[in-house]
Parts: sequence; C-alpha cells; structure tokens
Amino acid sequence: MILQSFRSEWIKLRRPTLLFGTFGGVALAASFFTILTFTQAPATGAGSFDLPSLAGLAQPNGLIHGMSRAVVLLGVVAFGIAATQIAAEYSLGTLRQLLVRQPRRFTLLAGKYLAVISFLVAAVVIASVITGGVALVLAHIRHVPVAAWFSSAGLADLTRALGMLLLAVIGFATLGFAAGMFLKSSVFAVILGFAYLLPFESILERIVPSTGHWLPGSLIGVVGQGGTATDGFARSLMISTVYLAAIAAGTIVAFRRRDVTA
Amino acid sequence: MAILPAPTRSARTELAVDATGLTKQFGGRTVVDRLDLAIPLRAVSGFVGPNGAGKTTTIRMLLGLIRPSSGQGEILGGTLDRPESYLHKVGALIEAPAFYPQLSGRDNLLVLARLGSIDTARVAQVLDRVGLSQRSTDAYRTYSLGMKQRLGIAAALLPSPELLILDEPTNGLDPAGIVEMRDLIRSVADEGRTVLISSHLLAEIEHICDHLVMIDDGRTVFQGPVTDLRTNRSSEVVLRPESASRLAALVALLDGAGFPARIEEDALDGSCVVVSIGAERAGELNRMCMGADITLSHIAERRRSLEEAFFELTGSHSRDTALAHSLGGVR
Repeated sequence: MILQSFRSEWIKLRRPTLLFGTFGGVALAASFFTILTFTQAPATGAGSFDLPSLAGLAQPNGLIHGMSRAVVLLGVVAFGIAATQIAAEYSLGTLRQLLVRQPRRFTLLAGKYLAVISFLVAAVVIASVITGGVALVLAHIRHVPVAAWFSSAGLADLTRALGMLLLAVIGFATLGFAAGMFLKSSVFAVILGFAYLLPFESILERIVPSTGHWLPGSLIGVVGQGGTATDGFARSLMISTVYLAAIAAGTIVAFRRRDVTA
Repeated sequence: MAILPAPTRSARTELAVDATGLTKQFGGRTVVDRLDLAIPLRAVSGFVGPNGAGKTTTIRMLLGLIRPSSGQGEILGGTLDRPESYLHKVGALIEAPAFYPQLSGRDNLLVLARLGSIDTARVAQVLDRVGLSQRSTDAYRTYSLGMKQRLGIAAALLPSPELLILDEPTNGLDPAGIVEMRDLIRSVADEGRTVLISSHLLAEIEHICDHLVMIDDGRTVFQGPVTDLRTNRSSEVVLRPESASRLAALVALLDGAGFPARIEEDALDGSCVVVSIGAERAGELNRMCMGADITLSHIAERRRSLEEAFFELTGSHSRDTALAHSLGGVR
C-alpha cells in the first residue's frame, strides 16, 4: 500500500521542471562550494575547519569537503521541496482526491514522504558524483594530490560524509514536510522555513550563543558536516533525532485527525 | 416541514447510503444537523439545497474527508468510520475538479490510479469515455473549464465505481456542456451504478434524478422519490378567458364560489387567472365559467417547480431573492 502511494508520488516528482531543476540546482550549489573551497584554499599552512589548505584537501576526505560545506544550502532546498510537495496538495485541493483513492492517511503520508526523501537522496547522490568530477578537475588545476581520495580510507571517508549529508537532508526534508502540512501553503511554508533556518537561527545564536547547541536547524547542519569544532556529531544526531521524531509524530497525528476542507 | 419517515428495515437492504443523525459542528456552528440519508441502490439521487445548506460537508463526511461530530452510517456495506472499507467502490467529484496544473490529464489520472491500485489501462478507457483522449497528453492548465470538469468525471469513474458521488458537476459549464454532462450521468446510471448528485440547481436535478434529498440549514426537508414530491406537491389551475376584459369577472366568480384566485401577468401569453386547487377540479371550474357566460380559451394544470416545492416544504416563501437565485430559479 505504501508502495502504491510512493509510486503515485513519483509521477509528480519526475516531471522535467522539478526533476532537472532540483537535480541541477543541487549539483550547482554543491559544485559552487567545492569551487570556492579549492580556489580559496591557502597554498600553505593548516587552514581552518571550514577552509582547509591545499595539503588538507589532499587528505582522504578532500573529495567531499566542498559538498559537506554546502549542507545548509542543500538543507534549504530539501526543506523547500518537501514543504511544497505536501502544502500544494492543500492549496490545489488535490488532497481530497488522493484521500478518496487512499483513505488510509498514514499510508498516503508515508508513501509520499518516502518518495520525496528518495527524490532528494537521488539529487544529492548525483550532485556528489558531479561535485567529485569538479573536485578532480580543480585538484588537477591546483596541483592537489588525489591518491588519498581513492584509498580505502578515502572511500570510507567519502561514504561516511555522504551518509551524514544525506541524514541532514532527510532531517531538513522532515522539517519541510511538517511545515507544509501545518501551514497548508507552499509559499508561506517556504518563506517561513527559509526565514527560520537562515536568518532567525543565525541571529538568535549570535544574541544567545548557547542556543546554537539546541536549535534544530543548526543541529541538523552539524550532523551533515559530521560534527564541528564546537558540536559533536553524536550529540547533534541524538538531539536532532529526538526533535524530528517529535515533529514527525505531531505531523502524523495532525494529518490523520484533521478534517480536509480544502 | 415535511420530513418523510426513514425507510423500513427491509428497504434498507437496498440502500447504497444509509446514514442516520449525521451532524457536523465547526467550532460552535452546526453545519449539518442530525441528517438522515437513505440513497437507493442503482438510482440517480439528487442532493439539493441552497448554497451553504451543508451539502458539501455531508459529502465530505461520506467520503471520509471530514469526521462527523456524531451520527453513523453505512455506505455499500462499509461503515462510515472506516472509509477504507467502501471507498474503493466509490468515485467522487468534490466541488471544482482539483488536479496538478503542470501534469497532463493522463498523468493526473495515473497519479490516482497508482494510488488506488487501479489497473492503469482504465486511464485510457475513462479518458475516452469523457472525450478527452485527444488532449490527454496536454498539461491540465491548458484545459478549458468544461474539459477540467470532464477530467474530474473521468477521475471519478476511474475505479469503476458502484457509487458515483458528484458535487455540483455542472458548475461553470455552458448549456451544451450541461446537456453533455446530463447524458454522461444518465449513461453511468444505465450501467446499474448508483449516482448521487449534489446541486443547488433544482431545475437541473429535476431532469435527471429518480430520488431526491432536499436539505436546508443542514437538515433534511424532503427525502424520497421525485414522483412522491410531484404527487404531494399542491398544484394550480390556470384559466384564461377569451376576452381579457372578463378577467375581473372571472376572479369575482371564483372568489364567490370559494376558490381563492389571483390574476397573473404574463408578458408572453397575456394575463391569466390562477386558482390553487387540484387539476381534478378543472372540469368543475369550466362548467362554472360556462354558466356565468365566461368563455375560456385556455384551462390547464400548472405543476410547481422543484424550487417552488422547496420553498413550500421549508415554509420560506418570504425569503429574499438571493436564496431563490442560489437555488437556480427565478420565482
């Protein structure tokens, strides 16, 4: 049953504008950060966490470094697409059609969610491949040795980094899904989500620095980067999971109980 | 108010929809108030009432989109609180058709077919049935209003439904589209399917329905075969004297004989005298006129329209014209 809902949702997701727009946009955003990282990396010294030196880029995790820095941008894209996919059902009135054909609301929601997640995962994986190609070209230009990237340690780092990035994208998409469901308007959900994830959390963190360790957007971003200098990966993952589980539970309960008047 | 008694137990076995005491409150406002519905199987039933009477809310309750505040019911043998037990046998067009503008008509139906585990071959069949095959690959946003409505009907027909629920199916259609829609509904009914059509256009419903449910302010005001409504409806007799100069004399004669009469102006046919009595007494009136040397050029029964019957049943003759217009008739 969930599979039917999943396959049905993919008919909407595969439309060329959305498919190529998202896949291209995500690849472009990730490539942009990779280009920035390689062009701005200092030739000497150790560099910093966010901007390693060329020597740092030659390390096993150098291939995925630029992409990992794009996590918030990828998160915003994931949030926007997830929010739009559910909110549009309310604003277009199509939810009533869907619920007549699939009255088991959890089944409908779960299939829809999994389809959106699979869409975003595919976008990130394809973007990773493209970004990898961009990184190889830039490494050649800036004379960065790449042997370590393809060592077993390098491939393990790559897999781990990609996994963390995907976890973050799933987290942001879950937030987007909840926002779209509760706000019922694509435009409103995207604007509110972007405003919260980008300026709001950032401003709040600057005024009250300790909140940075607890804000959901920041924590998911930390997960995507595999931990930062100030926040550990495991703690961020744990708190994010608690947040997302609560939000997902609230979303499911509301979706199942709410009258559909649109 | 003339509420017909609920069907007996034996009759209930032949019902597609059998709901009692359906109530829906939004906040403190009661939109549907202890509504009883008994929709017979394999018939075309009209669900009529003015805008805001609670028709769409009732339909949404039947489709599991809105949870009733109270009441219970069975639809095609499934219970109202478990819509998954019957919705696979139901097709519905709820208010305006709602589809994804960027997707083609075909893909829009494919979304629903996949979701409902319906054979995707049905998509081409229903598109053909509503005459949209030629435009099936065009984006929905390029469709005319009539085409959108037809796609809505196609979506409703997708599961080969035993019960087809259409909420205001002729909304926005031109006269040709309305006739087309009427033929389509009739052809669906001829296949032995049950059709429930909600409309605020009583005249439109009168053409295609066998059974009628009238609601007002969320309550049932009539429920039963259209023929019952016609039989129960008080009729009038229209008399036209050969000479218009005899109109006043005719009214005086009828009033004097205890038949309250009034003169009505008619721009097309000229003035006439209307008497509120059954057609079976028309001969008596004719003889009376002959005796008084008033020659009639026209004598006929005039049945009241559904709109008039609705106002008669709700006792709302004095309602404003806005309501009359919302019922689709000019009184």
